Amino acid sequence: MIRSPLGLALLSLTLTACSPADPQQQVSQALTDGVILPIYSAWNEADRQLAVSAQAFCADQQNLAEARQAFATAQSAWAAVQPVLLGPLAEGNRAWQVQFWPDKKNLVARQVEALLNKKSVLSAADLEKSSVVVQGLTAYEYLLFDATLDLSNTEQKARYCPLLVAIGEHQQDLAADVLASWQSDDGMAAQLKTFPNARYAEAPEAVAELLRTQVSAIDGLKKKLGTPMGRQSKGQPQPYQAEAWRSKASLTNLAASLASAERIWLGAEQNGIQALLSADQAELKQRINAAFSDTRQRLAAAPRPLGELLGDEAGRAELNALYDSLNTLHRLHEADLAKTLGIQLGFNAHDGD
Amino acid sequence: MFRMPLASASLLAIAISLAGCSEDKAPANQVAAPAASSTSAPAVAISPIDEAAGKAVVSHYADLALAVFSDAASTGKALQNAVDVLLATPNADTLKAARDAWIVARAPYMQSEVFRFGNAVVDDWEGQMNAWPLDEGLIDYVAKDYQHALGNPGSSANIIANSEIQIGEDTLDVSTLTPELLASLNELGGSEANVATGYHAIEFLLWGQDLNGTNPGAGERPATDFVVGDGATGGNTERRRAFLKAATDLLVSDLDTMVAQWQAGDADNYRATLEAESAENGLRKMMFGMGSLSLGELAGERMKVALEANSTEDEQDCFSDNTHNSHFYDGKGIRNIYLGEYKKVDGTTLTGPSLSSLIAKVDSAADSTLKADLEATEGKLQALVDSANNGQHFDQLIAADNSAGQQIVRDAIAALIKQTGSIEQAAGKLGISDLNPDTADHSF
Repeated sequence: MIRSPLGLALLSLTLTACSPADPQQQVSQALTDGVILPIYSAWNEADRQLAVSAQAFCADQQNLAEARQAFATAQSAWAAVQPVLLGPLAEGNRAWQVQFWPDKKNLVARQVEALLNKKSVLSAADLEKSSVVVQGLTAYEYLLFDATLDLSNTEQKARYCPLLVAIGEHQQDLAADVLASWQSDDGMAAQLKTFPNARYAEAPEAVAELLRTQVSAIDGLKKKLGTPMGRQSKGQPQPYQAEAWRSKASLTNLAASLASAERIWLGAEQNGIQALLSADQAELKQRINAAFSDTRQRLAAAPRPLGELLGDEAGRAELNALYDSLNTLHRLHEADLAKTLGIQLGFNAHDGD
Repeated sequence: MFRMPLASASLLAIAISLAGCSEDKAPANQVAAPAASSTSAPAVAISPIDEAAGKAVVSHYADLALAVFSDAASTGKALQNAVDVLLATPNADTLKAARDAWIVARAPYMQSEVFRFGNAVVDDWEGQMNAWPLDEGLIDYVAKDYQHALGNPGSSANIIANSEIQIGEDTLDVSTLTPELLASLNELGGSEANVATGYHAIEFLLWGQDLNGTNPGAGERPATDFVVGDGATGGNTERRRAFLKAATDLLVSDLDTMVAQWQAGDADNYRATLEAESAENGLRKMMFGMGSLSLGELAGERMKVALEANSTEDEQDCFSDNTHNSHFYDGKGIRNIYLGEYKKVDGTTLTGPSLSSLIAKVDSAADSTLKADLEATEGKLQALVDSANNGQHFDQLIAADNSAGQQIVRDAIAALIKQTGSIEQAAGKLGISDLNPDTADHSF
């Protein structure tokens, strides 16, 4: 990392020199450096640790609890990436290599077992040629948490460890590759900071994509909550259709994603999306702040994992309130904020319901 | 200002870029202004759509729907006849004839799918017709390694083997298999994998499970599964026969219901509602349907999921291995809407006022591009059909080790994505700027 006092000095000079600078460009720059790159770096680091953990666990130098902890950190870091899922990781179906959800028919169990029945020795190349279902965290979670497996058993460990190690490596390589694409000259970060470039003709296009990604992610959170609640299936709870049900981390993931979304809104130094609202739009700013706060507090207050909350009336009522809170947050972004900023959201990755 | 060490790497780049900012970059700021109608539309705010010409196109769209649903109904009745013959004399020949009739009936039905998106009357009805993928263990016997939706209480209910089934705490009487009963069992226990009706339930009864994975071969249910008495296989053949009969009868009556919705001259049907709306609304529905089927449904749900997950569980016509045809006719249906034409089962072609001609008047380049894209997509979907005819079906193309096969599927997906962009562009030429085709949660 270059920590250049000269750069800082130069920056403050130029900021003064061309004031008022393009606010859209400032926001895009500030979010890239202050929020997005730190999120991708944290994910990269978590996946590095995941690979280390898989090796250590399989060499009997880590216990199952430690391996599960490394997984939880990696899964949470991945959840944090989702509101900034644009650029390299959003292309070429790379995101599917990290996680396969929804897994409506338990493909993960079928494909993990089929793969290991075919190959007892597994190279990184073997994994790369396999289905996305077995390449990522969904399969890793299956190995460490599924009730039918027990990796503290030596025999089972011998069968499943090659896959555990291969997934760890694959995730580490993928995250490193994505981060490098962000940081390279003319990479994704540069494209969010200087305009025009190969991706964006001008700053508002970049800001529009940041907002679009944010709105899509918040809508995605509604789906991740609504699917197991049975909102698409006559109100019958579907606990196994939840994300991360095996590790009971569904709500933890939601909280990690929400925290990133809030950072995109606020910015590291109050220079996020909200900085684009003018003084006479303070009321909208307040409403969005309040909505983030409401959702965040409900998630923090959730006393039990999603699967348990789905099991009784009181739990379902809490989840309904959480869903409504997310819905308010989503609508404020999708309708009010986008309209106020004059941003056409266009392609909507999640069909509103 | 920048606290995070990570950020400092790019400080110089920011500084340089900021140094470059000057007056001539100012217009970027203006885009941030709230979009007032005066900035997004030309000074003279007239719609580029001639209302009468637009209405003629929408009316012809309804004619196309009537023709395609009528063909789906008539081929559905031919399927019903073939099923009756199979049940009267179950043997390999009558089973093959029923399977052939099912494949013939699929062609017009798939061309009707483009009407689903944008027309709620079709979308609400569709679940009973084409719901998929299904947990076939709800219906009949399955192989030992059968995989189903986790937590689906009906996944192994086997209605054919049981006169009552247990779903959670409820016991259901299924002793008499009627069309009404089958319809009531859809989404039983809240699981969308519980499907007892429609093309795929019938497909499962005619073919059985495809146990070949990504290897060659479709389902191989023997005709003796429908024999009563000597030589019967599979058990409970009386109930299997009753199930097939009820499901086929329901399919035919449902198709007739949809035909009625599109008949002209009925003040109370859906067509009347559609034709009473503004031309712009009708055109939007047409193009939304084209885009949504192209993008989220066909490229996403039906191809990308199966391809990326190498999952035959996510193949559309997985029992019969007819997926190539289903995808081809989905694509054909999209093109039909644009060109305003439909080749009927009787061989004649219905033509009339088209979206293409409407858009050509406003912007002939946009029209040519979209026409070329639709034709290119048809070519890529034809490649799926050609491959199947040469012995490699869709479920083989998506195998993890078949990179050449995967490329055929990838090319079709890419063509559909490109065509969706052109559909949006063309819609924009008609003043429909926010089409937002359904992506079914896929990003491309």
